[in-house]
Amino acid sequence: MSRTTIPSRALRLVAAVGAAGLLVAGCTSNSPEASEDEGGGQSGAVSNNDEPGETVTIGFSGPAADHGWLAAINSSALEEAESYEDIELRAAEGTNDPSLQISQIETFINEGVDAIVLLPTDGAALTEVATRAMEAGIPVVNVDREFSTPFAARTTVLGDNYGMGVSAGTYACQLVEENDLTDPVIAEIAGIDSLPLTQDRSQGFADALEGCNQEVDNRVAAEFTVESGEAEASNLLQAAPQIDILWNHDDDQGVGVKAALDNANRDEMFFIGGAGSANAMRWIQDGEMEATVLYPPTQAADGIRVARLLAQQKGMSDLVQPAVPRRIVLDAPVVTADNVEEYLPLGFES
Amino acid sequence: MSVDATNKAQAGHDTGEATSPAEPKGGGPGGAIAGLVHGPAGRNLGLVIALVLLCVVGTFTAGDRFADVNNVLTILRLAAVIGVVSIGMTFVIASGGIDLSVGAIVALASVWATTLATQAIAEDTHWIVLVTTALIVGTACGLVNGVLIAYGRMAPFIVTLAMLAAARGLAEIIAQRRTQIVQDRDFIDFFGGSVLGVPVLVIIFVLVAIAGWVVLNRTTFGRRTLAVGGNAEAARLAGIKVQRQTMYVYVLLGLLCGLAAVMLMARTTVGTSTHGLLYELDAIAAVVIGGTLLKGGRGTIVGTVFGVLIFTTLTNVFTLNNLDTSTQAVAKGVIIIAAVLLQQRTSTRRRSP
Amino acid sequence: MPGKDAEPLLGMTAIVKRFPGVVALGGVDLDVRPGEVHCLLGQNGAGKSTLIKVLAGVHQQNEGTITWEGREVTLGDPQAAIDLGIAAMYQELDLVEGLTVAENIFLGNEKARYGFSQRAAAAAETEKLLARLGHQEISPHREVGSLSAAGQQIVSMARALSRDARLIIMDEPSAVLDSGEVEQLFRVVRDLTDQGVAIVYISHRLEEIREIGDRVTVLKDGRTVATGLAVEDTPTSEIIRLMTGREIEYVFPDRTGEALGDVVLRVEDLRRDDEFRGVSFEVRAGEVVGLAGLVGAGRSEILETIYGARRSDGGTVSVDGKTLRRGSVNAAVDAGVGLCPEERKSQGLVLEDTVTRNITMASLGRFARSGVLDQGAERRAALEQTEALDVRPTGVDRAINTLSGGNQQKVVLARWLLRQCRVLLLDEPTRGVDIGARSEIYALVRQLADDGVAVVVVSSEIEEVLGLSDRVLVIGEGAVLGQGTADEFDEHRVLDIIMRGDAA
Repeated sequence: MSRTTIPSRALRLVAAVGAAGLLVAGCTSNSPEASEDEGGGQSGAVSNNDEPGETVTIGFSGPAADHGWLAAINSSALEEAESYEDIELRAAEGTNDPSLQISQIETFINEGVDAIVLLPTDGAALTEVATRAMEAGIPVVNVDREFSTPFAARTTVLGDNYGMGVSAGTYACQLVEENDLTDPVIAEIAGIDSLPLTQDRSQGFADALEGCNQEVDNRVAAEFTVESGEAEASNLLQAAPQIDILWNHDDDQGVGVKAALDNANRDEMFFIGGAGSANAMRWIQDGEMEATVLYPPTQAADGIRVARLLAQQKGMSDLVQPAVPRRIVLDAPVVTADNVEEYLPLGFES
Repeated sequence: MSVDATNKAQAGHDTGEATSPAEPKGGGPGGAIAGLVHGPAGRNLGLVIALVLLCVVGTFTAGDRFADVNNVLTILRLAAVIGVVSIGMTFVIASGGIDLSVGAIVALASVWATTLATQAIAEDTHWIVLVTTALIVGTACGLVNGVLIAYGRMAPFIVTLAMLAAARGLAEIIAQRRTQIVQDRDFIDFFGGSVLGVPVLVIIFVLVAIAGWVVLNRTTFGRRTLAVGGNAEAARLAGIKVQRQTMYVYVLLGLLCGLAAVMLMARTTVGTSTHGLLYELDAIAAVVIGGTLLKGGRGTIVGTVFGVLIFTTLTNVFTLNNLDTSTQAVAKGVIIIAAVLLQQRTSTRRRSP
Repeated sequence: MPGKDAEPLLGMTAIVKRFPGVVALGGVDLDVRPGEVHCLLGQNGAGKSTLIKVLAGVHQQNEGTITWEGREVTLGDPQAAIDLGIAAMYQELDLVEGLTVAENIFLGNEKARYGFSQRAAAAAETEKLLARLGHQEISPHREVGSLSAAGQQIVSMARALSRDARLIIMDEPSAVLDSGEVEQLFRVVRDLTDQGVAIVYISHRLEEIREIGDRVTVLKDGRTVATGLAVEDTPTSEIIRLMTGREIEYVFPDRTGEALGDVVLRVEDLRRDDEFRGVSFEVRAGEVVGLAGLVGAGRSEILETIYGARRSDGGTVSVDGKTLRRGSVNAAVDAGVGLCPEERKSQGLVLEDTVTRNITMASLGRFARSGVLDQGAERRAALEQTEALDVRPTGVDRAINTLSGGNQQKVVLARWLLRQCRVLLLDEPTRGVDIGARSEIYALVRQLADDGVAVVVVSSEIEEVLGLSDRVLVIGEGAVLGQGTADEFDEHRVLDIIMRGDAA
């Protein structure tokens, strides 16, 4: 049964699941294997930027960690901060209440922190206070959910939902070509349809498919929960007795999708996931899943690094420009059996 | 001047005077026939027609994909979990109460039954441990609801709203917001399997529905539930233990939520704090369009089953036709309003001469 | 006195109002002159409430005419009555406690311009109204819930005045007031009548009527037995005679004089704070004990406390020598006590359920084997009871709300007969019951007693208590004012005891 309304919980969850991305400047923790992945852009520490500098205080505030992805966001941010002896982190209690988060930022401003990393519960609601921080001379690094004006943040680190769809679509095209599929049935299980991130993902998917003259034949929308994934997938499997390629936006609801596939004994299709949970990666290892489009939960960690550079007035050494860029949009690579070993450490437990 | 209110207040005070103009005339033999048409049979007829209509639409638009044994079983399997909850909800609503915490209880039970510790015990013994855990957790939540409502004299809406928040929160704490995979294949195989081609989940749903019907219509428990819902004061003065009965219906619903959690664990192979989201609304909607009076006193299990099937089939037909969820939501809203309007019409006709 | 011989403001002629199964008004005449206080008297059940509801447009008469300043009018709804200038102050004040005085006064008649309420204008107007009533001290902005009962009454009156009421109906306005407040009320009433406003005043307290009333109309069994008597010229004894004298004599069954059995119910020094105190009596098997008293005297409270539906603050209730647990209906029911409550519809019946279910609801266990009901046996038992009690129309599968009041009452009785109870508590057993059906109920009660049940009857109709009971307790203001065998009392004497008690 589908839902008639979306509770705020679900919204939060969605935002949580949806936000993720791969970073440009250095990946997760300082663990060496994590910083060596190719798909994730460049690892940061080839220059002397990691050398201890002047000690800086960074304020960090994010939504309540009521989901695996967000828990990972928080923990990776904390770990990242810990790995630098010149960072003194002020981590505010995670919250889903914009007004509480506003007061947290106000506290940071009053304390005079050197930089703020902010993953807003609601981008628009936090814009005003972020602007005040900027006006107070504190650089704000905006993570995942964008403010409503560009003046509220020094740098914005974003995941790429549209890019996720494009990656999935491009990979699907590749599968069509490689396997010589004629008139393939392509199905899509989206997340909550009313959210921009879902719309972006679907748009990217459709646009990429258009590139190889394909389109989505069957589409349902689940709610980022296991249960809804199972229910929607069950109906979808009845609607389409034969599916060649199935893209599921989110690996968390993917657990349910997988259960539905197993229940119906349907393994004829290429099953592509999204987000890159540890579960999905294990399925890829076991050959039960074709691929998943990555959206790792390290944006906040990334934000911490950028904030440190900003506070220490350093640039990104791999860029010619001496200052940190204004906008960092993360890549959404496809994890397949060929490269899953590299990405496994990035997989978050959903 | 609010004369209606004064009228009522007045009626209660001046002893001995016929104050109510609404007292109906004694009906002739026509009353019985009218009672039948507008009674349970009549209402269920409407639901049957609605379901048949949906099926006709499904067959017309999706052809063999709809009218296919596997598809029908899929519909039933998807209806099973919310169906079990709705049957429990029928009792609560018939008793004049409401329970908003069912989804959260399902989540908590599923999480508790799939913790590492529980699964470790189950591994050493039998998967029945998972089932028992879920049932106990559900029953315990229902007991808390029931005790607070019946003996704490708090409004069901508030108590279960609190439970909704607390149970899901506790589920998140226990699961640490992770999805807990059921490791026991035997469990999945048993509940996910079929007997003579009928999925076990569907069999459970059918059994619960039959048992629910018998209990509501043929036992003292059901009769007392309806009496409490129909007129709690009259029931109390007739010597019915109203508080105990009230508590029992919430316990029963809690137990069924535990069962629903088991079924959901089998369906999805996991326990998670996101299970059962919005079950409260789905269950209440199914119960109410089924014809159970939201104010209590009348309940129909058959109607509830139809209510659940109508919603599940609706989703299925929409998916088969590749229509989006927004359209589905609109259709669902229209159905709810139409059903309640129908219910009001039939019940006012029953009441006024 | 103003308007003594003036043209009547309001005339009601031969008003008949029928409810299904009951004739509430069987021909009532009333004329009210401007500037007079016209008292409406009658025992409970005489039809006063119905009459004022007809007058206020809440009910519409089936027969008869209403004239207003000589013109015939139709009071189709409450608004029609308000438009004419008729305002009613009900016994239960119909004020919204959470709103302010001014808001209450203009409720439904808000002072507003372009949809915006004009609070200042409303407040000013309110002050004027309150001043007219001599109560300038009440602030228009005060929340009504914080006012005393008397204060609320003033607000209610101000509301009536705000609609330019020329006739105000006051239904037992003194019931919630203490003596000082009553004086104040009377002052306001006199001011109003001086301004030409007519008052229809309902009260049980005869001495009040002596003090404030100009003329009296007495209702009895839904008919006017006397109308427009000048208070000054009518002795109290005459009024009591009019109130009690009957055109229709109820047929009370003979006391069979069968030997009484052992004491079944014993009530000792039962007390509930603020409601009643020091109630002691005992009832033997086969005996009917009646509690006589007016509404609010505490009779129903006593009955419900015996039954455990209210928790006593002292004293004991025992059945067959066994003391019942306080405040436990189940203890009472288990001991064999049954109650036919005063509010039959809200307390006695599950209105949408069938006759069968209403009869068997107290004895469900009897029809169940391990919880599963034998519906056939249930139906047969119900049928047996309804046949024995002659419940009409026959048929136990019909909804109880399709039955008349008398037959509904029989169903409640049947419930306890089926349970074979030892003690039966009857609270207003003939309330809302048609005259004809009353005799049947009386006969039933006597039959029950003869079968060895101990019966306690509460009724505000004194004649009913006297006719039905073997022994009588007169209750007033929460205390037993007198008791004895029924032969020792007559209606006058009971009323006399009560009135004296009230006055005290």
